[in-house]
Amino acid sequence: MTSYLILLGKGRVIDPHLSHLLIIGYILSNLLLTFLPKTWFSNPKLFYPLVVMDTGIVSFGMYLSEKVTTDFYLVFFLIIIFASISRNFKLLMTIGAITALLYGILLYSWGLLGPENISSYILRIIFIFIMTAFYGYIVQTFTKEKMKQLAISEDKYQGLFENANDGILILRDSKFLIADVNKEVEWLTGYKKEELLQKGFIHLFSLLEKEKVLSYFQEVLQKGEARTDSYSLLKKDGMPLEVDLSIKRIDLGDESFYQVIFRDLTEHRKLEKKIGESKMNLEAIFDGMRDQLSIQAPDYRILRVNRAVVENYHTTYKEVIGRKCYEAYYRKSVPCERCPVAVTMETKQPASSIMKISEGDTTFRVFSYPILDEKAGLVSIIEYVHDITEEQRLQEQLIQSEKLAGIGILASGVSHEINNPLSGIIGMAEIALEEEDASKNKSYLMDILKCAQRISEIVKGLRSYSRAAKKEELSLVDLNEVLEDALKMVQLGSKTIPVEVIKKFQPIEKIEANRGEMQQVFTNLITNAFQAMNGRRGMLIISTQSLKDLVEVKVSDNGMGIPPKYLNKIFDAFFTTKNPGEGTGLGLNIVYRIVTKYEGTIDVESKEGIGTTFTLKFPIRRDG
Amino acid sequence: MGKKILVVDDDEMIRKFLRIHLVNLGYEVKEAADGIKALEQLDTDDFDLLICDILMPNKDGWQVLEEMRSNPRTKNLPVIVLTAKNEDSDMVKGYGLGANYYMSKPFTKAQLLYGLKLMFEETPEE
Repeated sequence: MTSYLILLGKGRVIDPHLSHLLIIGYILSNLLLTFLPKTWFSNPKLFYPLVVMDTGIVSFGMYLSEKVTTDFYLVFFLIIIFASISRNFKLLMTIGAITALLYGILLYSWGLLGPENISSYILRIIFIFIMTAFYGYIVQTFTKEKMKQLAISEDKYQGLFENANDGILILRDSKFLIADVNKEVEWLTGYKKEELLQKGFIHLFSLLEKEKVLSYFQEVLQKGEARTDSYSLLKKDGMPLEVDLSIKRIDLGDESFYQVIFRDLTEHRKLEKKIGESKMNLEAIFDGMRDQLSIQAPDYRILRVNRAVVENYHTTYKEVIGRKCYEAYYRKSVPCERCPVAVTMETKQPASSIMKISEGDTTFRVFSYPILDEKAGLVSIIEYVHDITEEQRLQEQLIQSEKLAGIGILASGVSHEINNPLSGIIGMAEIALEEEDASKNKSYLMDILKCAQRISEIVKGLRSYSRAAKKEELSLVDLNEVLEDALKMVQLGSKTIPVEVIKKFQPIEKIEANRGEMQQVFTNLITNAFQAMNGRRGMLIISTQSLKDLVEVKVSDNGMGIPPKYLNKIFDAFFTTKNPGEGTGLGLNIVYRIVTKYEGTIDVESKEGIGTTFTLKFPIRRDG
Repeated sequence: MGKKILVVDDDEMIRKFLRIHLVNLGYEVKEAADGIKALEQLDTDDFDLLICDILMPNKDGWQVLEEMRSNPRTKNLPVIVLTAKNEDSDMVKGYGLGANYYMSKPFTKAQLLYGLKLMFEETPEE
């Protein structure tokens, strides 16, 4: 437009070269404006001079072309644009009025406001003013709407700002003066908002911390933002406040603000400490117990172990975790025999068993418990290993001492059995020595021989017991044989008690056990039965039979029975109804221990005055 | 002398050698193999001494002692208790029940003689 004016106008520029130069200048300046970065236009600092410059150039062009009179109003559109940038309606109207007035003065000075065309020019002034007002109004409305939206978003921001759970401070300029704070800051620091405003943020810190905070701000100045672990703020009451600080620089025009967000760490710390403590407690329990505890994946892989495991196997956590237990502990390639973990894997049920570890002669009772997910799938297995070596040793001792007591009882029975024929031998020998009639001596010698043979029989009978008393390893034991031996032994010592014994033995599977211990079990039970029938004509029924995968032995007597109040105590150690010195109270306890050791069960049924039946069941070991 | 002695023992051999010894010593000897038979004989016959075993079928020596001591007829009859169980508790029990002498098996003729001597020296005084 300006180019056209200059080119075609018969204005002040007469030299066509100058006129062309000006046109090129215009085009270039427009091109320049087109390629200027767009952000420049949104920046008022650059935009206003640009608009003023453009308006100036156009006006200058008009002036040069002397078309000001007719086309100057075009400048008004630029003025309108210029004015629309301003959000102030009053300013716009003022500019409009001044421009209209200026135009009027120009027209007047050029003598155009002559009477013949005054009306058209005045109308033009009014039109310009009205247009200014109209555009001004539109711009104003538009701006208002924008302001409203701005206000809404500001409200939103204010809401976020005020109600944030973190303390937020807005700091101004490089001195970090506090420009705004939210409620949380007031609450956390104990200062009122008014007290904080205009205060240097740095003064909220203790002397010791200031140095640190300053260097931290230095970082903010350089990078624009920074985040750190924790600082200690000073509250109004002088108490320290542990905070987690993060700062971000926000540039607004030529001013920089700093948004500081800080979070109270005191509560957080407390919670963290609590969690830490409870974790430590659990850890302490886990590691403090002397029993071995490990968590295993369903493929025997060790997930976690406690210290007892590491110490027991003289290894390290590193070496154990992630490996399969049998590899890690025993350098085996297959799971250990009788491992309850294998049972739990299959059944998803808790399991336990006694495992003997050959090296070190240690015996463990191993428990395994499943950890299931919500779909009852096996997640992992807890293995709990309790060293029962000592326990077993004591139990063995107890069994041994009871065995000795048994031997004592037997000894008195045996001494009776031996002393009788021995008396016969001595008596007959003395008679033979005194006898003068040699022909009679032969019969005395025969008697002596008979007595000696009786003793020899007894000694033979004892052999089974002495064999049983020896500490034997496990072997396959036929309980029918054991019962025969035990019965013989008891009868030997209780000859005077008239008992009718009925044996109902069926062929039964052998069980894997220590023969001596089995003999002890049945000797005890049969002895008890004999004693229960003391003084009355008794009947003892011993029966055996094979059940599905069990062997069952019943020992029934028709003795005095057990009073109901004692029924749940009879297996307790040292429980006895016998007089002091007569019974140790260990007999049935030992029976119980031995039976359970072989994973057997023992039940008792008794009626006072009618009799007692003990029912024992032992599992048959097919793998044994 | 003609004193009459009842020998009670379930062991035939013991009865036999006691009988030979006692007969050789000039006593009259009767025998019983268990407690019940012994008490029957004590009831029907008069004796000067009872030699009785403890461990016997049917009624044992303790029962024989108890019953004869509660019977006026045999209340003061001297009794030698024989036992094969060499236990002090038995001896104490035996004396408690009224035994006059206690011999543990095996014993020699000398021990028997000593017992007899004790028994027959004491009796007249009672």
